[in-house]
Amino acid sequence: MRVEIRLYATFAQYAPSQRAGDPFSAQLHDGATLADLVGKLRIPEESIHLVIINGRIVHDRCQSLVDDDRVGLFPPVGGG
Amino acid sequence: MDRILRINMTDRSASFEPMPKQYENRAGRWLTSSIIHDEVPATCHPLGPNNKLVFSPGIVTGTSSPTSSRISVGGKSPLTGGIKEANAGTGWGRRLARLGIRAVIIEGRADGFWLLKITKNGASFETADAWTGKKLSEVYPKLFERSGGHKAVDICSIGIAGEHRMPAAGICFNDQNARPTRYAGRGGLGAVMGSKGLKMIVVDDTGSDDVPVANKEVFNGGRKNMAAALTEHAITKPKGALNSYGTAVLVNIINEAGALPTRNFRSGRFEGAAKIAGEAIFEGNKERTGSELYNHACSPGCIIACSNTWHRPDGSEHTSCVEYESAWALGANCGIDNLDQVAELNLLCNEYGLDTIEIGGALAVAMEGGLAAFGDGKRAIELVHEIGRATPLGKILGAGAVATGKVFGVSRVPHVKGQNMPAYEPRAIKGIGMTYAVSTMGADHTSGYTIAPEMLGVSGKLDPLNPDKAELARNFQYATAFIDTTGHCLFIAFAILDIASGFEGMVEECNGVLGTKWTAEDVARIGKEILDLELDFNHRAGFTKLDDRLPEFMLYEPLPPHNVVWDIADSEIDQVFGQ
Repeated sequence: MRVEIRLYATFAQYAPSQRAGDPFSAQLHDGATLADLVGKLRIPEESIHLVIINGRIVHDRCQSLVDDDRVGLFPPVGGG
Repeated sequence: MDRILRINMTDRSASFEPMPKQYENRAGRWLTSSIIHDEVPATCHPLGPNNKLVFSPGIVTGTSSPTSSRISVGGKSPLTGGIKEANAGTGWGRRLARLGIRAVIIEGRADGFWLLKITKNGASFETADAWTGKKLSEVYPKLFERSGGHKAVDICSIGIAGEHRMPAAGICFNDQNARPTRYAGRGGLGAVMGSKGLKMIVVDDTGSDDVPVANKEVFNGGRKNMAAALTEHAITKPKGALNSYGTAVLVNIINEAGALPTRNFRSGRFEGAAKIAGEAIFEGNKERTGSELYNHACSPGCIIACSNTWHRPDGSEHTSCVEYESAWALGANCGIDNLDQVAELNLLCNEYGLDTIEIGGALAVAMEGGLAAFGDGKRAIELVHEIGRATPLGKILGAGAVATGKVFGVSRVPHVKGQNMPAYEPRAIKGIGMTYAVSTMGADHTSGYTIAPEMLGVSGKLDPLNPDKAELARNFQYATAFIDTTGHCLFIAFAILDIASGFEGMVEECNGVLGTKWTAEDVARIGKEILDLELDFNHRAGFTKLDDRLPEFMLYEPLPPHNVVWDIADSEIDQVFGQ
């Protein structure tokens, strides 16, 4: 399956374009989980604060992904 | 020596009064709302002689407590018709605190415009007619030069919008670098100041003493815990998210969550979000200036330092500060994804003395009404210049989103109690929707920032679409009212909600200054007391629970991408304050 990824804030360095929010895709095996994707992206697990899949905040790293999922990854961010 | 400075604009007289016993320990929002509640007839016209404008620094403002240089401004709002407190980060309030002035009360109404100068020796007036009709970037440098420079004074002023008593006019304060850019922006308090004939207030604290601290040991312990929490938390620490990317770092996350109001609240996603976000500001500045720019503190003593600048292609500074709310209001909400255009709109709001949120809302409603196409930044800039020229069209826009909607026959007007919603879609984030609904201020995210647990994973991880948020909305508003009383910036909440010693530090700082023995329970008690004062004022001004409702279109228009409507029962909303 193929999922669409967007990396933000300091995670932009792990994106192919190194620009925050530039979408790119990753091929994963069927039944792959969020944890599998994180491993593939080489982002330190403990630095990930928030994951948003298709607009929903996901806390469970064991959540299975499906084809065409839109995944956004964030370090701790805040503002007003 | 705590005292109140009362200014009568009608005869330009000034008098110092001792702090009344019943206001003991009150400062910031607690004091501004107390005075408005007790002295202003709730049914008065906000621009008439019976309204008052009150300035009050917070409890710890002017001390060595970090991130505590907020000045609260209160009055009856010409935008909402209810009570208003808006606060800004600036050195201006520190100087008042050092002069022992807990509040300045402006009353009456003068002919023409006046400059009020406050020093150790008292208050004096001079005519300010020559300062009117100008951009604030023309006014501030000259006035600083004439007043002994930024080391000696800080300046508070209204712009052209306030002179013309427009309900979207804010009150401007200079930042740490003397830029006229920090606003008590919301609710039209700039129009109230203009209605009094007061153009500007210069505060010179030469010869003042340190702010008295009743118990230095307790204060120092609290201050250290507060500083440690701010320095440790990932959001507030140096080179953390706020220091690196500014508040506009939120654009992407709120967009990704489907809750970034786009094109006048038609959608929760903006395809151009990444182009106007904090990361784009950081990268754009790097390309244009050749170096990584970390943000600066708006006011003395702030260790979060979240205020950004945006630079032109030649590297020169275009504007400061492009906040999250401003990037959204003047960007996504208008369908504009060009940062240079957003920056120009931001600059013009600062130049003319306008609240960026209300103006972004008015522009989006105007676009809905056919005055411009969504995304037409060039036309949006022309429309803001109309406000600066105070043309009839400009005055309509400067009256805010609701007035603009009425004039142009628009039914999609995202407001509560006449104040345009800020940058969080209530259909997609239920707790902030409940806060907008019941806030004494009209739609206001800073009344109770439930976004922290609903979106950012701070002080909990709540599902934004879960409707069970009455208790959350209530507790956050109580805690926020207390923070607005301390003089701390609301952004300390990110750190102290997660780090218990930071929260205790805030209470201990107050105890140290005041000699009180407050505990965490007193935070909620005082917060409730403040809200009760404000609710009572609004009740007497004619508000009922029917005003605690979101606009009708949100009940029947599903919001993409979640395709959700506002589905919280009225009875549930009424549970927040148990009305």
